[in-house]
Amino acid sequence: MSQSEIWTEKYRPSKFEEVVGQQEILKRVKSLVQSMNIPHLMFAGPAGTGKSTLALIIVKELFKETWRDNYLELNASDERGIDVIRQKVKDFARTKAIENIPFKVIFLDEADALTKEAQQALRRTMENFTNTCRFIMSCNYSSSIIDPIQSRCVVFRFKLLEKKDVAEVIKKIAEKEKLKVDDGAFQTLYESSEGDCRRAINLLQATASISPDINSEMINMISSSTKPSGIRVILDYALAGDFVSARDKLLDVVLKESVSGQELIKAIQKEIWNLQIEPEIKVRLTEKTGEVEFRMTEGSDEFVQLQSLLASFVLAGQGKTL
Amino acid sequence: MIKHNSLAEKYRIKKYFDIIKQDPAVDEVKKFIKEFPKKKALILYGPAGTGKTSLALAAAKENDLEVLELNSSDLRNRAQLEIVLKPATEQMSLFKKGKILLVDEVDGVTGTDIGGIAELMRLVETTKFPMIMTCNDVWQSKLSQLRQKCKIVEMKALQTITIVEILRRVADNEGIKKDISFLNKIAIKSQGDIRAALNDLQSYAGGDISEVDTLERRDVEDNIFNILKKIFKERQPFLDIFDSTKMSLDEILLWLEENIPKEYKNEALAKAYYALGKADVFRGRIYKNQSWRFLIYQNIFQSAGISFAKTNSMPQSFTKYEPPKRILKIWLNNQKMEKKKTISKKYAKYVHCSTKRAMRDFQMIKMIIQKPAVQEQLRLTEDEIAFIKK
Repeated sequence: MSQSEIWTEKYRPSKFEEVVGQQEILKRVKSLVQSMNIPHLMFAGPAGTGKSTLALIIVKELFKETWRDNYLELNASDERGIDVIRQKVKDFARTKAIENIPFKVIFLDEADALTKEAQQALRRTMENFTNTCRFIMSCNYSSSIIDPIQSRCVVFRFKLLEKKDVAEVIKKIAEKEKLKVDDGAFQTLYESSEGDCRRAINLLQATASISPDINSEMINMISSSTKPSGIRVILDYALAGDFVSARDKLLDVVLKESVSGQELIKAIQKEIWNLQIEPEIKVRLTEKTGEVEFRMTEGSDEFVQLQSLLASFVLAGQGKTL
Repeated sequence: MIKHNSLAEKYRIKKYFDIIKQDPAVDEVKKFIKEFPKKKALILYGPAGTGKTSLALAAAKENDLEVLELNSSDLRNRAQLEIVLKPATEQMSLFKKGKILLVDEVDGVTGTDIGGIAELMRLVETTKFPMIMTCNDVWQSKLSQLRQKCKIVEMKALQTITIVEILRRVADNEGIKKDISFLNKIAIKSQGDIRAALNDLQSYAGGDISEVDTLERRDVEDNIFNILKKIFKERQPFLDIFDSTKMSLDEILLWLEENIPKEYKNEALAKAYYALGKADVFRGRIYKNQSWRFLIYQNIFQSAGISFAKTNSMPQSFTKYEPPKRILKIWLNNQKMEKKKTISKKYAKYVHCSTKRAMRDFQMIKMIIQKPAVQEQLRLTEDEIAFIKK
């Protein structure tokens, strides 16, 4: 198979030795794998810290060339409903692993996207197939996974990659791809990717698609063009009392840029402190923003909630609050 | 003599069977009883108030049969049915009269009547008397097996002219003096439901025509525009305002969401959206926990909550309300974004991340997948390649 042209894949470590950061976890996982038996595992930690990579290394080490036959990757945030997952798991687990290892491995990515009810159902599925399958689950916070599942897994907590780790990865890629990356660019790549290695590499490749000479300014340009734009415009309309324009722009941003309500609300929360309004009102608006963010996690309609927030901004524009 | 409380009951058999006897259904029922046990059961189906039950009762009377009537709640369980029906189906009545079994509203036999349908099936097979069932919709799936064992007869909604004729006879008989236009109004309003027409005749027997007008107005479905107008312009605790529309609370919420800024500004705007936001919170909880009790909160916040968002009621001037645009926009956008989604899906699978994340980072990914080699690896179609080149 030809080498991938997408760098996050091309430079994804395939051996324990190649992994950068998470050294404590590596040591423990490695010894588990060497015993040719693993318990259910849970990888908790932020995006781009090596959870999927480690899962892939584990199956490659266990099954060598036949890893593809013995490995199933599911993404909980894409597979709608536990029934789909259960069916896929069932189909996959029906046949035994061919190798001298008596189980297959299922990697359930973003397991925290499952509702509590779905997790309960998943727990039963895990029990039913415990002889033939091992689960590796990834999530951002282990607290969003129900206790019965956690207690069946060995939990590993992944930390954000440090600046030197990200720099090491970038340096290696830059060398291989013959890029010139100046010192400022390393700093900027780390900052705008917030320790997310996948994002840092993507950002590097996107920038490199324009020029092999990479500096801080270019990275900033690419990075800001890939972040939700127009937040300020929305808020400015609202502060000026033009609610309808603010709302139209809001819908526009949500639709055209596939930004989730959660991301928007985070961006709004940050932007509040750059606005030209009384600090006291900023505090009140922050309170409202927090309430809206909470409601979204609770299952409210994102657009209705964002509109109610915008209406508060209209008042704030006149120096008032509800 | 039995004193009937309602005209609909009193004239159930006596009068209007005379009139509807031209209906082909009447012959079908007569034939069924005559030929029994060739077919053991018959299902009469049709809209409410078309005379299904009456026809069954009338047929029994004509053949001098005793009626053993069951309703769906009697079918609650097997044991109960056994007690009611075993003797009835297996021995002749004391007075040597034949019997007819009438099971009304079999579509009311739902999932909670465990074994209800199964029991009906068994009854159909074992009954020693003609069995007549009624229902509104015979074609629903839960009745499919039952359907195969029974003769099916449709009863159509009564024509207005037939209803007027029945009303006229009943009015004569009861000494109700009403002119024909009054009866016409009631008949039209009933939409083919003779029971409703007779009930209306009874309730307006002492009144005059003008009352029928108010009655009609009250019954006309209040359209969403009127509802919005009342909520936005007036200042009242409109707790049951949504009872007059068939639109769901969730859909009304979208209408309110769209039109609030047309009426309210500043503080009222903020308060109205605050109330709408609260209504939405309860809506979310209803869906999440199936706690339908919360409907009342959603209802109050999106009616009274919005009505009281302003400090004074507003002049009744005309405002052009618009239907919710958001859903349409989202739909149109989804159509447009279909390519983005399929590309993201391919990319996500290739690099082991979620499609959602790929959609989010699409601007960046788009730059990365411009290379033909990458496009080949992802197996992008020509359409998809054209999409990312835009």
